[in-house]
Amino acid sequence: ADYNWTFQTSETAGEPGFVNKQKWAEDVAALSGGRIEIEILPIGSVVPHTDTLDAVGAGILQGHLTDPSYFSGKDPAFAMMGNLVGAWSDPFELLGFMASGGGNELYAELVAPYGVQFIGAAATEPEAFVSRVPIRTVEDLKGVKMRAPEGMVYEIFSKAGAAPVSLPGSEIFSALDKGVVDAADNTVFATNQSLGMNDIANYPLYPGFHSLPMIDVSMNKAIWDGLPEDLQEILTASVQQFSFNHIYSVRQLDAAAVEEANANPDIEIINWSGDERAKFRRIAQQEWQNWAPKTEMTQRYYDAVTAYLKGRNLL
Amino acid sequence: MGLSALGIEYGSYLLVGAIFVLLLTGQPLAWVTGLVALIFTFGWFGPMALPLVTSRIFGFITEYSLVAIPMFILMAALLDRSGIAKSLFNGMRILAGRLPGGVAVQTLIVAILMAAMSGVIGGEIVLLGILALPQMLRLGYDRNLSIGVVCAGGSLGTMMPPSIVLIIYGLVANASIADLFIAAITPALMLLGFYVAYVLFICWRNPDLGPPMSKEEAAQESLGSALKSLSAPLFIVFVVLGSIYGGIASITEAAAMGVSAVLIIALIRRELTLRMLQDSLVHTLQTCGMIIWIGIAAAVLVGVYNLMGGNRFVAQSILGIEAAPVVIIMVMMLILLVLGMFLDWIGIALLTLPIFVPIVIQLGYDPIWFGILFAVNMQVSYLTPPFGPAAFYLKSVAPKEITLKHIYTALLPFIALQLVVLLTILFFPPIATWLI
Amino acid sequence: MADESDIINKIEQGDVEIRTGLDQAISTSSKVFAWAIFVAFLITVVEVIARYVFDSPTFWAHETTSFLIAAIFLVGGPVALARDKHIRVRMFYDAAGPKRRRALDIVNSLIALIFFAGLAYAAWVMVGKSWFTPTGALHLEGTGTSWNPPTPALLKLLVLICVVAMFIQTVFHLIDAIRRDTSNATDGGE
Ligand code: NA
Ligand code: NA
Repeated sequence: ADYNWTFQTSETAGEPGFVNKQKWAEDVAALSGGRIEIEILPIGSVVPHTDTLDAVGAGILQGHLTDPSYFSGKDPAFAMMGNLVGAWSDPFELLGFMASGGGNELYAELVAPYGVQFIGAAATEPEAFVSRVPIRTVEDLKGVKMRAPEGMVYEIFSKAGAAPVSLPGSEIFSALDKGVVDAADNTVFATNQSLGMNDIANYPLYPGFHSLPMIDVSMNKAIWDGLPEDLQEILTASVQQFSFNHIYSVRQLDAAAVEEANANPDIEIINWSGDERAKFRRIAQQEWQNWAPKTEMTQRYYDAVTAYLKGRNLL
Repeated sequence: MGLSALGIEYGSYLLVGAIFVLLLTGQPLAWVTGLVALIFTFGWFGPMALPLVTSRIFGFITEYSLVAIPMFILMAALLDRSGIAKSLFNGMRILAGRLPGGVAVQTLIVAILMAAMSGVIGGEIVLLGILALPQMLRLGYDRNLSIGVVCAGGSLGTMMPPSIVLIIYGLVANASIADLFIAAITPALMLLGFYVAYVLFICWRNPDLGPPMSKEEAAQESLGSALKSLSAPLFIVFVVLGSIYGGIASITEAAAMGVSAVLIIALIRRELTLRMLQDSLVHTLQTCGMIIWIGIAAAVLVGVYNLMGGNRFVAQSILGIEAAPVVIIMVMMLILLVLGMFLDWIGIALLTLPIFVPIVIQLGYDPIWFGILFAVNMQVSYLTPPFGPAAFYLKSVAPKEITLKHIYTALLPFIALQLVVLLTILFFPPIATWLI
Repeated sequence: MADESDIINKIEQGDVEIRTGLDQAISTSSKVFAWAIFVAFLITVVEVIARYVFDSPTFWAHETTSFLIAAIFLVGGPVALARDKHIRVRMFYDAAGPKRRRALDIVNSLIALIFFAGLAYAAWVMVGKSWFTPTGALHLEGTGTSWNPPTPALLKLLVLICVVAMFIQTVFHLIDAIRRDTSNATDGGE
């Protein structure tokens, strides 16, 4: 191949996202007639997940497919653009905003100074919510000890009346199992089901409503600038392709997992009504307003998102 | 420059060879591993890649699974200095009684109790190294037997649930952590059973290896006084296990709960002094520094090797084998055993699981079963030289006359026992999966 | 049981080989740093009580303990070096006589200096990226949470400080080894 690159992802090797990202690399090889070969590595293989932006900029890695929230410590705009909690119930709304609401342009502008070229955005299904107690309404969140990563998720659930607990991902299972926490923000339904989360916390909330992270596909800017135009086009188009493939594959996995969970009499899947989802989104919006004035970029992003959501009659 | 001209195969050999040679100079292990990683980063990728090294340092020290280590070391240091540790062992003597090797068996039972309290290794070995080892040596137990019992028993923490190794495996392999925990119980008890049986057997053949107590000494220990001296340690066990299984604290936090239980008891027994606390803290700081910098260096090495394409090299080498599936599993076990000689388990997991698990599933095997094989294999890795974390942990607290060479020699029979268990589970998967 | 504690201290102190004045200073200052472990312990207990007894978990405990423990791990490096506590394969080293041992000490110090110099360079680059934005404005990298304490920037700086400390410690070890008088010693083991 003319180009041999290493891209690091934000998933462990077993997760569906990782497999789909590997499939993307195969597609790029096929579309480019073998001129580009990309090695896809799991989370933490070369650098910690919080450092891939710097590593891509420095050329240690040639690219990454990751959740921008991991760079929130560098700039709060990454937190908002990575996962605007409560904003999206459907990945195509997020992708629509990125493509036509100004999201792509803002994100490209944000990463450019780091020496990073934004190729395109992808998305996944909204994350599910695992719970030991039935939570049927926003009201039911009151006083529930739930695991949430510190940040916007933490603040919004706090505003909704829950008692968020910060726990690292590796402690979620044991903490739920033993009742240290009653509920947890974790990943998509299919993965929770296969990890056995729903077997120890019998009241999963699905479809999700709170968290739908963006997947940022970027690469080293200097390498990108040196690419012939056709390869640039191939990369851009292949990321869109990947985005569709990923959403459909997670939907299929979720469907199979939901069927499996429904077959288990101990598990009750709870689906929030449209009213409850809207109630939660309005609580979330108060927190977005707190983040908006942090930098010029967060304000521009907030304005763009609220304009888009209003235009879609979602806010 | 241009080490990359070597290609990954010869690069891999050079990397391992360089570590071996540099180790012989008597240079600290952490510097040797780290320097080789640094040279390969520079030589393979050029100076712009060097920040990778410190990036991994930062990643390693902020790894949440390590937070419990200082707490367990502190708990051990306090137990030891307060004399509660002595009570524990004196109290358990009633269990040891006049049985040859009885104190070693008692140590193993304490070890499995502690294994159910924590999910990491390190703390337990340090604790047993401070508590049990001097007691056994004082009673005239064979040095090798005593060392082996402490290291092998102390390593059980990641075999007996809760176990951070199994949690990470579950996350990487997308396998049910609940099932992994259940599947691990029988193999963990099997390892314990093998260790106990081995101790009893060799002490029965030659009682000088684990001399029984004299009749008079054994008679001194009334049940009442034994229970009295056991009450404090039992309270600590109760606090740690109770806070985990009662849903009060996470596994990491439970270690801190244990520290508070020790402090409370030491206060009641009027053994707590500022000086003692200060000494215990300094000891903890120093032991952490020693242990963590070895881990840091191993983490750096894994990062560079992954970037060099080492993972692809390993995968291709495995897929290149044309043999029965069970042979491929055995080759994987062999690779894990070899890597276990050089890296810590986190590094091995990051390096191999993304490659191995998909192959295992493709071959039609149960990933839960493979997870248990992986965990047993990591038990072996703690004991094997030259990079044997169990040996390092013990060395950090053992009397100075005990060298690393002594420790590794003492571990050989226990490694053999672990390999027997590994092979047994490999050929009889129901040992792991029958409870699921 | 104070005597018990004393005995252990005597054993441990007897084990410690302090080679230079700098090592002594670092070893002494560790008595202050070590209290960070106690603080981390207290915070963890506070979090458990706040959550379990009062149903109001804190937002700061997790980030603060993670920071303290990481700092402890880093500082432990120079402290263990000052007290010669790092694990070494001593097979050949112990078998060597004073002259050969001096030579080994010199070579090992030089090798370690290369290592620490490389680390220091890498840490310098890392600190630059965590203290300044790509446009050059001072901005300490935070954890990215709502509270957003600048602990990543501080820890990265601490990496640099610890590496530089170990570099200087090793320079003194090198000087110590070069100056060491082995003229009266015969070689070939002890
Ligand atoms: Na355990
Ligand atoms: Na080993």
